[in-house]
Amino acid sequence: MVESLLHPLNIFIVGLGGGFLIPLFYRLGKSWVAAAFVLALAAMTLISGYALFVLLNGAAPIEILTGGAKPPYAINLRMGLAESIFAFGVNLVALFGAAYVAREGYGTLLLYLLLVMGIQGMVMTRDLFNLFVFLEIVSIATYALLGLRDAPEALSATFKLLMATVLASTFFLIGTLLLYAATGILNIDELIANRSSITGPIGFAALIFLLACLLLELKPFPANGWGLDVYETARSDVAAIISGGVSAGVFFGLLKLLPLFEDQLELIAVLGAITFVFSNLIGLQQTKAQRLLGYSSIGQMALLTIAAPLLYQLKAGDAMFLVVGGLFINHLFAKVGLFWLAGYVGKERLQDWAVLARRPGTILVFGILIVAISGLPPFPGFWAKWQLIMTLAAGDLYVWIAIVLVGSLLEAAYMFRWFSLALHSPAEIDAEPQGQSDLFPIFGMALLLVASGYLAGELAGLAAPWAYMPLAAGLVLYMLARLPSGMQCLIVLILVSAGGTSLILSLSGINFLFAMLLLAGGLVVSIACLARADPRPGFYPLLAVMLLSLPALPRAMTSLEFIFIWELITLSSYFLILQRTEAASHALQYLLFSLAAAFFLLCAFAVLQAQTDSVSLSALRVAGPDSAPVFVLLAIGLLIKAGAVGVHVWLPGAYAEADDDVSALLSAVISKVSIFGLLVGTYVAIRSEVSLNLALVMGWIGMLTTLAGAMLAARQDDLKRMLAYSSMSQLGYIVAAIALMSHLGWVTALYLVANHLLVKGILFLVAAAIILRTGKRLIVELGGLAGVMPVTFTTAAIAIVAMSGLPPLAGFGGKWLLLSAMIEKGWYGPALMTLLATFVGFVYMARFIQAIFLGPRKAARDALTEAPITLLIPQILLVAGIFLMSFFPKLLIAPISEAIDPQFASTLVWQGMSLEMIYGYWNPVPVMAFAVIVSAILLGLFWLLLRSGWWAAIARVEIGGMRSSLYQGLKTVFTMLTPPWAQGLWGGLATATTASAERIRMLYTGNGQTYNLYILYYFLALYIAGGGLRHLWPTD
Amino acid sequence: MISSIVLTTGLLLILIGLWGMLTHRNILRIVIGFSLMGTGTHIVIVAIGYVANGTAPIIDHALSLSEAASRAVDPIPSALAVTAIVIGMAVTAVMLAYAIRLYEAKRTLSIDAFTESKW
Amino acid sequence: MIRRLSIIVAIVAFGLVFASLVIGHTEQQSLLPLAESYIRLVPQELGAANVITGILLTYRAFDTLGEVAVLFMVAAGVGLVLGGERPPRSGPLEDRFEGARPPSEIVQTGTQILVPLISIFAAYIIMNGHLTAGGGFQGGAVIASGVLLMLLTYPQYQPNPEFLGVTESVAGALFVLTGIAGLIAAGGFLDNRILPLGQFGAFFSAGTIPILSALLGIKVGCELSVILERFRP
Repeated sequence: MVESLLHPLNIFIVGLGGGFLIPLFYRLGKSWVAAAFVLALAAMTLISGYALFVLLNGAAPIEILTGGAKPPYAINLRMGLAESIFAFGVNLVALFGAAYVAREGYGTLLLYLLLVMGIQGMVMTRDLFNLFVFLEIVSIATYALLGLRDAPEALSATFKLLMATVLASTFFLIGTLLLYAATGILNIDELIANRSSITGPIGFAALIFLLACLLLELKPFPANGWGLDVYETARSDVAAIISGGVSAGVFFGLLKLLPLFEDQLELIAVLGAITFVFSNLIGLQQTKAQRLLGYSSIGQMALLTIAAPLLYQLKAGDAMFLVVGGLFINHLFAKVGLFWLAGYVGKERLQDWAVLARRPGTILVFGILIVAISGLPPFPGFWAKWQLIMTLAAGDLYVWIAIVLVGSLLEAAYMFRWFSLALHSPAEIDAEPQGQSDLFPIFGMALLLVASGYLAGELAGLAAPWAYMPLAAGLVLYMLARLPSGMQCLIVLILVSAGGTSLILSLSGINFLFAMLLLAGGLVVSIACLARADPRPGFYPLLAVMLLSLPALPRAMTSLEFIFIWELITLSSYFLILQRTEAASHALQYLLFSLAAAFFLLCAFAVLQAQTDSVSLSALRVAGPDSAPVFVLLAIGLLIKAGAVGVHVWLPGAYAEADDDVSALLSAVISKVSIFGLLVGTYVAIRSEVSLNLALVMGWIGMLTTLAGAMLAARQDDLKRMLAYSSMSQLGYIVAAIALMSHLGWVTALYLVANHLLVKGILFLVAAAIILRTGKRLIVELGGLAGVMPVTFTTAAIAIVAMSGLPPLAGFGGKWLLLSAMIEKGWYGPALMTLLATFVGFVYMARFIQAIFLGPRKAARDALTEAPITLLIPQILLVAGIFLMSFFPKLLIAPISEAIDPQFASTLVWQGMSLEMIYGYWNPVPVMAFAVIVSAILLGLFWLLLRSGWWAAIARVEIGGMRSSLYQGLKTVFTMLTPPWAQGLWGGLATATTASAERIRMLYTGNGQTYNLYILYYFLALYIAGGGLRHLWPTD
Repeated sequence: MISSIVLTTGLLLILIGLWGMLTHRNILRIVIGFSLMGTGTHIVIVAIGYVANGTAPIIDHALSLSEAASRAVDPIPSALAVTAIVIGMAVTAVMLAYAIRLYEAKRTLSIDAFTESKW
Repeated sequence: MIRRLSIIVAIVAFGLVFASLVIGHTEQQSLLPLAESYIRLVPQELGAANVITGILLTYRAFDTLGEVAVLFMVAAGVGLVLGGERPPRSGPLEDRFEGARPPSEIVQTGTQILVPLISIFAAYIIMNGHLTAGGGFQGGAVIASGVLLMLLTYPQYQPNPEFLGVTESVAGALFVLTGIAGLIAAGGFLDNRILPLGQFGAFFSAGTIPILSALLGIKVGCELSVILERFRP
């Protein structure tokens, strides 16, 4: 009984019967209509959900026969697993969407009901002509529902849609009949079985007509202007169902007919790729919310159009399920949610979305939807893309990976830009959006995304519950958002200590050391967050996610876990930077570079998996000589994330413009994750002989970064920017140390990591204290603070000494180790650069102390006091760390060395020398003394140069007359030596991208007739590209 | 032979419809273009179903049950044509309804006047 | 100019594609296997003399149901589009035709004679759909042509929308119910064999096909009339 009541055929009985009866219910009363309507939708949802449940438990696909006969005589339908996912997804969305529709007249309700039924018909039917009928049902319902908005532009857009889709469905009709003429079959399964008999000009034209219709209904670039216009002007709930539901039906039609298009698979994917890249490119230039969503919708469907034929060609059935299902569900829930949100906000222009700024709940949902649509974890799109890329790599389809990732990056760019616009506090409090109940379905979509994301993650192979610990902690904190700030911060610290400890307990070796370092460093620096008592909506949950993700990264065993946690860190730190709305543009830059970096890692892992057939990170250790590409990809990604010279442009803005405590976290702690990645990734380099040369390149990049960073730091007038560049410079040392690929190099790297963490933590907190007390950031406006902030001055001085590499503090040991390791390896060039960079480092560090703490007081306020205790405690703890490292170096070096030993024990690189031998091999004092002397000589020389007036002549810079102080002179030199090439390069790239987007979108003239002409040409292009010329001019 | 003539007629009608919808500015004429294209398609359908020397697949005194298989035309395209005609009519009705609304909005039927959204 | 040229190029290219179809087309000399089985099966299994109706109302009745839904949606959709929030139709029905020339006597008389005939003809077409050329759709269209004639002749004539709506809904629901009955009592959804097939070629034969045909005719007639009514100024 239950079986027959929940049989999928009943979807159609309920849909049609309900639709026909709605006018009768209307005569019974208005509430009857709404009740019957919702009941019918709920019944369809239940039926499809039950089918999904049964099929997931291994039942055979459910055949639906009609007309009392078997196919091919009668029309049959099928509810398989894929069908049930699509049907259930669409039904769920439709049920939630009923909240917006139910208040309309009964005509709208019956159209909506039949539309939802029609989409499922498209999904389930196995008869080609029946597919056409359902396509028409869906189309006509769409045309009618679009009439709900009667603004002139909406009417025009609908008419364009009408013209285009009527043309497209005529193609379908012609194709179906021509196919019948060629084969005498309408049943899809039989057609597929008789694929080989579809030949000749008629068979070929039939296939192209069918394909053209399906692709056109998915709105391919450039024949999609009509679709965009409709997305822009339609009522948002109608646009939502078009984007999520109608596209789903059409796409499923394409999916089930794919076996017919065996000769055109690649062509379909190419057309999908063109649409994917161009729609996301033009999306960059959009200023209207719904049009933007339109471009994104088209892009998402195009991504599916790329994935499906390629996976079909690769015969990757298992992957197809996760990829197509995941991408579809992700697009469905996220896009529908965004469209509904657009309706709720009711603002056309993106700038006006600032009305959301003071509504943390809505912002959270908006954030979830944006993250999901960008294909980031923990949502289904992420797992699907992961699986897609892995599968493509296994099939050697690397170009496709690049296309998918480029398009995704573009999409993330405009999506997150939109998000940051919504965070800008409005100048004046706008009228609040009305109707809180309208938010309910949007929240529903966010929840569905979370749930489906979890399931997809499990499917993709992320079984480890610990990986979700950061998110769980974030959720807990979100629940506690009503507590006072300090309390929340304390809870974060407690949760993170407990959770973090449990995360790292099972670790050992390098991973344990890093996890320990990241966890402890994060906790100590985060104490500074207590200094702010103001409510910071969203801050503490994000902080919890971030702090727990850090120690979770070394726990990752597979590349999937690694990327997952990596993206969590990226996202949480991005949102933390975004907490300060002034930092929005820098945060976006940070995010985009981070995503690009992650994409390189993804590629590296994909190649690795294709080579070793393993997703385990340990595959990195056994990879052979072919793995040079893996190393190069990993290194590029990690160097971007580390802010190496050339790709450092994101770094100063993000570090300098974030909230002060976030800056400290970014520079001291988060920057180390890329270093951890490098350590993990360089196994491959050691294994593959080729990569050792690449390692030298990496070493040079590291040293250039150090030098450029130091010079850029010395040029800065802004306190935090100076520290930001200093951070870049210090990371350069670490990169170079890792690049040494030797035991000593790695010991050095870890030592430097610890040192930099301590030092930069202190210095950014010092900056925070200074900004808090004086409200000023420009170094020239500060001065003489040593007297009023003695403790801060002391910690700053200790940190500076430790960083500069002067004895007796830890930096000295670090520099010494680095120079020793370079000399050991014979890297004299980089060693020389180390010396040079040390000299430049002295300049800015001296200035930091001199200009801020010594010198004359410039700050007008007299009532300056010492920094608050909450800022001092973490500094003092970090100072204690410095002392510990400085005076008991073995405490750190011994475990480091021990942890590293296994990696090198079996290689030629490590000569088997014990640590003591190295200690004795190089006497540190002379080396450092030499470094100091060289610096002094250089400075002296420069001073002479300046004095004599030669310099002005050489540099052709007018200094003499003005303020020819030593610093000004140096600044001029550094400015000359660090031309803004990188800025120019990336800025130019961005300008070129937006300019091309601007030009390309001129294709969309807005004229419906022109759009129809595009459609004809699209068909012709398809015909020719599919190989149709041979039918026009038969050669035989 | 007969079916080729009908097929050509249908295809020509489609071409004429396409030409009309692309060259005429008046929305009503564009709708007529679509209708022509639709009619052409229906003719093509009928042409496809034709069997040499066949008659309508209706069993009566003119066509006995035993000889039906050899003398009837293909019934499937005819059945599909019925559906296609109804759907074509439905679409035309919707187009005309929108044409009325467009005229009311702008007091013109020129397709060039309806380019509000673009890019 | 460029535009005109590109249109010409497109049309010529389509012409070439179509030409390849004509050249590739060969007239069928005998029925394809599926069609042949239909010719055999419809009279035997369904008891319908008109093979096309048999296909439409049983084997492909699911399509037919879809078509009915399409018409139903168009009726609702045209109402939605033309109703909407546009300025209300000016005044009562009579005023809208003020000053318009009344239809001539020929038209009026012609209508009075033709409408009853049209109605009878429609009923005939609908009810004999399983035996000879005709069926629900065709008959429904004929009904609507009668309504159109009425609308042209008597601008004030207003078919009762309430009646049309209820009839249309009931007919649609009964269609679905008949389908369900096939599911329960015969071989499947929309199977016509819940009623005896009767004598081949007789009026009461072919199971539920005549009933479905009648429901279809009523429904299509109502729907088309509603659509026509909605288009009135």
